[in-house]
Order: sequence, then structure tokens, then C-alpha cells
Amino acid sequence: MTLWTVVDLGVVLVLAPALTGVAARTKSLLTGRRGAPLLQPYRDLVRLWRKGAVYSTTTTWMFRFAPVAAVVTTFSATLLVPFDGQDAVIRFSGDFVALAGLLGLGRFTLILAALDTGSSFEGMGASRDATFATLVEPALFTSFIVLALVTGERSLSGMLGSGTTAAWGHAAPSLAMVAVSLFFVLLAEGSRVPVDDPATHLELTMIHEVAVLDHSGPDLALLLYGGALRFGLFAALPVGVLAARGTLPAPLGAAVLVLGSLVIAALVGVVESSMARLRLSRVPQFLVAATVLAALGVILQVLA
Amino acid sequence: MSIFLLGLATIALAGIVAVATQRHAVLSRRVVGLLTAAGCAVALVPAVRVLAGESVPAARLALPGPGGPWVFGIDPLSAAFLIVVLGPGLASALSGLYAFGAGTARGRVAAARLLFAIEIVALALVVTAQAVVPFLVAWEAMAVLAYFLVIADYDHPDVRRAGFVYLVATHAGTIALLALFAIWAGPAGGLTFADLAGKTPLWWLALLGFGLKAGLVPLHFWLPDAHASAPTHVSALMSGIVIKMGIYGLFRVVSLAAVPPAWFGWLVLGLGIVSGVLGVLWALAQHDLKRLLAYHSVENIGIILMGLGAGILGVTYHLPFIAVVGFAGALLHTLNHALFKSLLFLGAGSVAHATGTRALDQLGGLARRMPLTWIAFLVGSAAIVGLPPLNGFVSEWLVYQALLGSGAAGESIPLTLVGVVGLALVGGLALACFAKVCGIVFLGTPRTPAAEGAHEAGPGVAGPMVALAAACCVLGVVPFVAVRPALAVGAAVANATPAAAGSEVIAAPETISLLAVSLIVLLGLGVLAARAVRRRRPITRRSTWGCGYALPTARMQYTASSFAAPLLALFGGLAGVRAARTADGAAFHSHPRELVLDDALMPMWRALRAGLARLRAIQHGRLWVYLLYLIAVLLGLLLYLAGLVGTGGRP
Amino acid sequence: MSLDRLADLLLLLVLLTGFLILGTTRLTTCIRGVAAQGALIGALPLVLQPHWTAHTVGLATGTIAIKAVVLPWFLTWAIREAAVRREVEPRVGYLASMALGVAAVAAASAVAARLPIPGEHSHLLVATSLSGVIMGLLVLATRAKALIQVVGYLMLENGIYIFGLTSLDRVPFLVEIGVLLDVFVGVFIMGIVVFHINREFDSLDSARLSELKD
Repeated sequence: MTLWTVVDLGVVLVLAPALTGVAARTKSLLTGRRGAPLLQPYRDLVRLWRKGAVYSTTTTWMFRFAPVAAVVTTFSATLLVPFDGQDAVIRFSGDFVALAGLLGLGRFTLILAALDTGSSFEGMGASRDATFATLVEPALFTSFIVLALVTGERSLSGMLGSGTTAAWGHAAPSLAMVAVSLFFVLLAEGSRVPVDDPATHLELTMIHEVAVLDHSGPDLALLLYGGALRFGLFAALPVGVLAARGTLPAPLGAAVLVLGSLVIAALVGVVESSMARLRLSRVPQFLVAATVLAALGVILQVLA
Repeated sequence: MSIFLLGLATIALAGIVAVATQRHAVLSRRVVGLLTAAGCAVALVPAVRVLAGESVPAARLALPGPGGPWVFGIDPLSAAFLIVVLGPGLASALSGLYAFGAGTARGRVAAARLLFAIEIVALALVVTAQAVVPFLVAWEAMAVLAYFLVIADYDHPDVRRAGFVYLVATHAGTIALLALFAIWAGPAGGLTFADLAGKTPLWWLALLGFGLKAGLVPLHFWLPDAHASAPTHVSALMSGIVIKMGIYGLFRVVSLAAVPPAWFGWLVLGLGIVSGVLGVLWALAQHDLKRLLAYHSVENIGIILMGLGAGILGVTYHLPFIAVVGFAGALLHTLNHALFKSLLFLGAGSVAHATGTRALDQLGGLARRMPLTWIAFLVGSAAIVGLPPLNGFVSEWLVYQALLGSGAAGESIPLTLVGVVGLALVGGLALACFAKVCGIVFLGTPRTPAAEGAHEAGPGVAGPMVALAAACCVLGVVPFVAVRPALAVGAAVANATPAAAGSEVIAAPETISLLAVSLIVLLGLGVLAARAVRRRRPITRRSTWGCGYALPTARMQYTASSFAAPLLALFGGLAGVRAARTADGAAFHSHPRELVLDDALMPMWRALRAGLARLRAIQHGRLWVYLLYLIAVLLGLLLYLAGLVGTGGRP
Repeated sequence: MSLDRLADLLLLLVLLTGFLILGTTRLTTCIRGVAAQGALIGALPLVLQPHWTAHTVGLATGTIAIKAVVLPWFLTWAIREAAVRREVEPRVGYLASMALGVAAVAAASAVAARLPIPGEHSHLLVATSLSGVIMGLLVLATRAKALIQVVGYLMLENGIYIFGLTSLDRVPFLVEIGVLLDVFVGVFIMGIVVFHINREFDSLDSARLSELKD
């Protein structure tokens, strides 16, 4: 870990909300609207942070704990991701399990917070969230298997570092599949079309949005920031696979990541403007397709 | 070894005291509790010493009679399982002193306490026996005592049925074990484990005998009923510890026998994946708190078997990394599951005691009414799901390493990668399931008056839960205290050195500890900061936003069935769950079935009985016909003998 | 990118179109998928052969014309003509189909690595061919609609075609005979249109054969 690791992590923490802004802007441009300014997510966060909050009399400490947990768990997970292609802040063998575990902890508290309100809408959102997260998990781990196989490493820093660049020489098809699979995972984890629609206004069709329906003010700001950070984290995974950072020094590696993430965010916007969200009963097919892609990557790798 | 036996004697004494002092409820409780705790603590001393690297001399009892010397000793494997037995076992015993007994006759309570104490002694003897005969005697004692404990509430026919199914299953297992050891030892060999070492057992018999005890799919059919019907502290012991004896048996066989064949490792791993996925799906479909937890035991046995199976494959294919890490993961998960499953069952008992029901959809809002139980149950839930910074995460992390570590090796080893995907799926499903349990039972508003009036049962019940929750936290925050011994024991089983796990894995627990500590510190700081911010903002308190509906009732909350419905719609076919709506489509129900027992074993049994009933025609009570049978048999025998003579003695 | 890598890429895309067909709910996507598959395997001989001859080029153009243009167009026409509902209506769920597909690819890969097939080509060629056949059979077996069964049959045929490519230089006619099978597909679709079979072959249900007993 060097000073640059910390600086680059800081850049990610600051820039994460901009990614959702880029995605939204791309979408509006492609649909012929001017759209909100790129910095709108920051304005939203500040505005919400300054507001007061409404709490349901039904709720307990769990409801107020979940927004904090959402940010802290996601932040802890970002400590494991090598944003600049060098070692992450924390690196150990099998840390990808911790990545999934930390994000799982955030989701667990969020589901509980939703059930804490006693609202059937939020129960519905929580149930859907839990269902789709269950299907994302195998896709994520299958992708990690491929990365572990092609790089021979068992930590995220090794899987997404210089080893990946070298692996493009002999395992390009598998890596390409993993990148696509991780992009699908990003769409699911970031609550984007075709899995979820961040702009929807009808509770019955929401997934993530309805699970946090009762949160307001600073709590909602925390949840939004946590979501943005998670989007940035999951965007960094396909970028880490695709952008061959090789032995670039840390600042350049981080620059590649920022550019790559912006492209990925724009791509999310393109997806959102070019297709409708899937019917809820069809979402599992999409998520299983992500697993299938990564699994094909594994088969190719084992066969080679 | 004498210290160990002294400890066991103290535990047994506690049981006798319970019967002797049954007239003085408070005194009895205190003395029995103290004696049990002291006994467990004393008996743990040699186990801890063995794990620290010392050796403890074995005890040999040269009993007259068949079966050779009765040898008891503590090797690393025994020591690891002794900790599993005595730690969580003590918590269950103490909880039982306070939780079990209200509304039950005094004599029955005392008898149950005696049986429980002897059960713990029997469990400790099972894992320390170093010869076949004492092992089987202790095994049978454990099984039969557990039967009596399960039917402690024998007034209910359901309980008696569950007990009977358990008894049949466990004896089928014992028969398999008798055959296993008889064939393994052979006609001439000695009967101590040292004599068996290096010989090849019949692997499938070991899997059948020990698998029935462990409750792996499809041998789990007895488990949910038995664990759900027993009194809570007995459920905790059964689910947390007794089923682990099956795991111990498999470990013992693997460590004693010659190199296991590849198919055995693949079978164990495959059954592990199947048990894990099906166990959690079945759990998801349950609406009864204790049955749900019982099915989660099947799931966790699956995770343990994934580690064990990977370890066996590591031994077979000479890949020491996989062997050591796989065994270590399985061992650590055994301990972890004993801790959090005991905790969860005690919590479930506390809930059932406070509300009089175990049906999820009749509960709700208990977090305000039972805060200690809620916190403890929450910790146990997060731990069983495998979330950091708790202990379940650490052992699953080890199992992941073992399954993934095989990817680079040749031959068919990469198939273990299927286990990684299976484990990921199990983790996701378990998260959904425990989110459902915690949310429906403890959060929201109470769905029934019974849940409305619930209250904490008292420090005697909460104390063991809090202790178990603390243990889960400690093993998660400073995992190296458990990972290092686990690697050492795994290495001993695999006949390798702990260094085979590689410097990266050996060093990782310190980093995990760093991550866990920073997570906890950050969460604490975050909560404080959020509180400070909220203090400066205007706060309004209203009822939950119901999208404009003005008269919300508790019945409008999401139910457990609805919460699980989307997942069961996807996977229900695998789990044998029937979901149905009422005719007007207004209400939704899902009905879980026990596939193996109800759809396979019982029909087979009925068919067998119907077939045998036809034979009844030959038994009609007329004596002369019976005499004719005799003559027919005699004639048959004579003809057979004549045939033998004709072929020169060969049949 | 070398030609070998390009061939691998094409084969991968062939596999992915297979999964697309297994996982989609819409008939039109199925047809587009099988058309794409036809185009991909049509291009394969060009990529596999380092120097093009009139024969390979003719083969490729013919295959692409038939499998990627004519038959898909014919199928789309059949949908309109026979007023077929545009949903797949599987007998085995989409998720299970896809999981079975992965299992098929894994099994095919394992077999391909062990199969002693003469000639210089990657395992992936044989693996894709075998998985194509299995996935085709899967579609034939688990999809009730006659129209999708045609798609399944096409997938199966594509698999066989790829297998033929392993011996392109030794038995060139093998592949061309394979293309002839497409004539049968044409007849198949005509049948659907003529008899307006818009759901399934009710009268060809094999279960009804059991009525013939006694």
C-alpha cells in the first residue's frame, strides 16, 4: 500500500456519484432530452443531507442503522478493490469472499430495515431484492473463478492487477465473457435497467427504490451515496478486467480506471435508453445468463 | 487424561444431583449449573493443551470380556471435537436449566436434566474413544439418550412419531457402523483404532452410518421432525452437536484409513453441494421457526461436507494445500455451526416460550419486547449466513479457498469449482432466508396478541445466548485463534504439515481481523456521526407510509410466505414446495413437504407392508397345515442336501 | 488477431447464440438467434482454411444464404402465415434449460478433450459441435411448439455441420450433404404453414401411439 493507493481510493469515493450522473445524462441525450446536469447527484445528496427526517413509529434502531451500514460496508468493500491496478488497501488470499460478504452485510441490514417499517410495499421490495441478489451471487463468484484460474491468484488485487493484463495473451475469450458477465452484475447490483428502473414512479414495479421508501433526509442521502459507491465499485470490476493496466504506475492506472468507469457508466445509459426493463419474472433469466457467460469462461479455461 | 475423566465425572455428578435435589428448585438449579460448568471447564483443559501442541497420555482400561482394551485418548482431532461438544453443550445445558420445566412434572424435569448430563458425557466419550467397542458403546448411549431427550414432551403424538422415526434412523446407522467396523477390523486384527490404521474400510458403509447421523441429503429425513419436536435446549444440542458426531466419524475414518478412493471424495463433495442447496431451499419454504432452523442444519452439514470432500480429494490426489485447507474449513465450520445453531435454537426457544407459537406468520415486532434475544438472534443469523465480521464468514472463506485452490490442478479436479458456485448460491439463499426470519419474527408490528404480549424470559435464558453470540463475534474478529489450530488439526488428519496451506492463507486471518476491526470501528463511528447529525435536523414521527392508505393493520404486513415466494417460484420445483392461492386469489399459501420421508420412504414402507400382508394367507391357525409346512421344509432341506452330496459338497 | 483466435471467437459466439435460444421467451429472438448461428458457422470454413478456394467460398456463401437468410425468413413468414403466438411456452423452464445447456457444454468439452479425432483443430471445434447437437436436442425435447422444434432441428444440424468441418480437407462432400438436409427443414416449415399448426403437433403426439395397444 502506498500513498497513491489512498489518493486513488479518495478519488473513487469522490467521483462515484458522478457515474450515476453520467449514466442519467447519456440516457437523456439519447432520448432527445437535455437532462439534468452531471453534478446533479451531488446536489441531491447535499439537499437531502440538510433536510429533516421522518421516522415511522413502527421502526427500531435497525431502520436508522441500515443507511450507515450501507455506506460503511460498501466503503469497506472498496478497500479490497485495486482501483489503480496496484495492490488494494487491504489484500489477502480469498478476499473476494470478503467483498461479497461485506456487500451481503449491507444488503442484509437494508432488507431488515425494509421489514422494520412493517409496510407491505417495502416487504415486497426487500423480497425482490433478496431474490435477485441470490441469483447475482453465483454470477459474481463464477467470474472470480475465471479470474483466479487465468491469473493463478486468489486475491482481488492479483485478479485485477498485472496478472490480468498478461492473461489477455492466452485467455482472451474467457476474460471477454467475464467482462460481459460483470457488466450484467453491475446492472443488477446498481439497480439499473433491465433489472430495475431507478427512474420509476410506481411502487409496485420498483425493487430497490421501494425497499427504501420510508427513508428520508440524511438517511436517504446515505443510502443514495452507498448506492453510488456500490455502482462505482462494480463498475471498477469490468474495467479492471478489460483495461490492460499492466505495470502502469498507480496514478496512470487510476486515470485509466476513471476513464473506463465513465465509459461503462455511459454504456449503462445506452442500455437504459435502448431497452425496456424486463418483466419481473424474466429478470432471473438475465441474471442466470450472466452466470452462464462466466461459466462458459470457466469451461474454456479448464479445457485449455 | 485423568483430569478429563474427572471433568466428565463432575458433569455426570451434576445429573445425579439434579435428581437428588429435585425438591428444591432454586438450589438444584444453581448447584447443577455450577457443577456442569465446572465439569466442562475441567474437561476442556486437556483438549486445549492438545491443541496447543502438548500430548496427553491415553487411558487404557483393560476390561475383562470381549472387545479388547477400552482405550480413550485425546489426539488433535478429538480435542477439536471436544471443544465443539463441551463449549456449546454447556450453553445448552445451562439454558435448559432455566428454559425447560415450566408446566412439567418435577420428576420429569429432573430426569431430563440427568439424561442431558449423561448425554454430554457420552458425546465426550464418543470423540475420545480410541477403540471400536468403547466407541460403539458410547455412540449407542448417545443415540438412545438423545431419543429419550427428544421425546421429553411425550404427551404429544407428533413428538412420539418424530422420536420413533429418529430411533429407526439412528439404529439403521448403528447397524451400518457395526458392519463397517466388523469388516474393517477383520477376523484376526485387534480392535483399537491403532490396529485399524492403514487398512481400507468399506467406504460406502462409513458414509451410510455416519451420514445418517449427520443428516446429509437424502439421509436427513429424520432430522427436521426430531429437532423441531424436542425441547429447545435439546434441539440446540442435537442440531449443534449430536449431528456433528457423524462428521467426526467421517473425519476419524479418513484420518485412520489408507488413502481414500477418488469416488469417495467426489461423492462427499457432491452430497455436500446437494445438501447445502436443498437444505437451504427447504428451510426457505418452512413457516415453523424450529423446523426452519433444523433444515438449516442440513444446509450447514452440506457446507462442512464440501470442505471435507475437497480435503479427501486433496489426500487422494496428493494436493496437500487442498487437503489441509479443506479439512480445516470443515472443522472450523463444525465448531462455528455448533455455536450459532445452538444460539439460534435457544433464541427460537425463547421466542416460542414468550409467545406460545413457532409459526413465523403469527409473530412480529419482538425486537422491542425482547431486545436481548433479538440482538443475540441477529448475531447468530448474520453468522450463519457467513457475513463478516462474524465466525461463519471465516470458515466459509476457508472452504472457498479449498474448493478454488484445486482449479489449477489437472485431471478432473476442476470439478470442485462447481462447489464454489454451489456455495455462493447457498450463501445468497441463506441470506434471504435469515432476512425473512429476523424481519418477520422480530421487526414490524406484532401480528397476534400473543406476540404483542411477549417479554424476555430472564437472565438465565438470555445469558447462554449472549455468551454464544459473544463467541461468534470473537471468532470472527480474531479468527487466527481458531484458524491456526484448525489448520494444525487439518494437517494432522491429512498427514501433512500446516505449512502446506501456504503462507498466504496462514497470514490472511490477521488481515481479516484488521478488516473486521476496521468495519466495527467504522460502523460505530458512523452510528455516532449519524446520531449527531440527526440531533441537528427536525425529526418527525409518523406511522409508516402506506401509499395513502389511512388504516394500516398488522395483517397487511408482508408475510414469510410472500417474502419467500419469488425464490420458491424459481427453485420450488427442486424443493418440493407446493404454492397455491385461494380460489378468489386473495390469499397465498405455500406448503413444504418432506420429500424423502413422505414421498419416498413412507410409500416404500407401505408397499412393503402391503406385499407382506399377502403372506398372511399362509398363517390361518390350522395346526395340521403348519405341520405340513414343517414336512415341506424338511423335504426341501433333504433335497438340498442330496443335491450337495451329488455335486461333491459345493452348492 | 490470428485466424485461430478468430475461429475460437466465432465458435464462442455460436455457443452463446445457443444459450440465447435456450433462454429467450420470444419466438422472433429464437429465429434471429438461429439465423446468427447460421451466419457464424457459414463463416467458419473461411476462417479455418488458411487459403481460400472456390470450393470453400462457395460453401460459405451457400451456407450463409440458406441458414442465415432463406430459412429464417421462411420461419418468420410461417409465424405470420400460421398466426403463431409469439411466445416460446417451454415444457422445461428457461433457467433449467440454461443450466442444462451449461452442463451440456461442460460434458461436451470433457468428451472433446478425450476424443481421438484426426486433424489439426482446437478442442473447441468439437466441443461446440457436440454442445450444438445436445442443445438442439434439448430444444426439440423441451419446447412444445412446432416452430421452435424447427429451430431446435436447425441447431442440431448446425452442430453436425461444425463436426463435418473437422474433416473438411479429407471428405469435402460430407459438409455439402449436410447442407442438403436444409431442404427437409423447408418441407417442415411448409407443413406448419399448410396445416396451420400454430401450437404443436397434436396429432403427432407420441403419447397417442399407446392407444394402438391391444
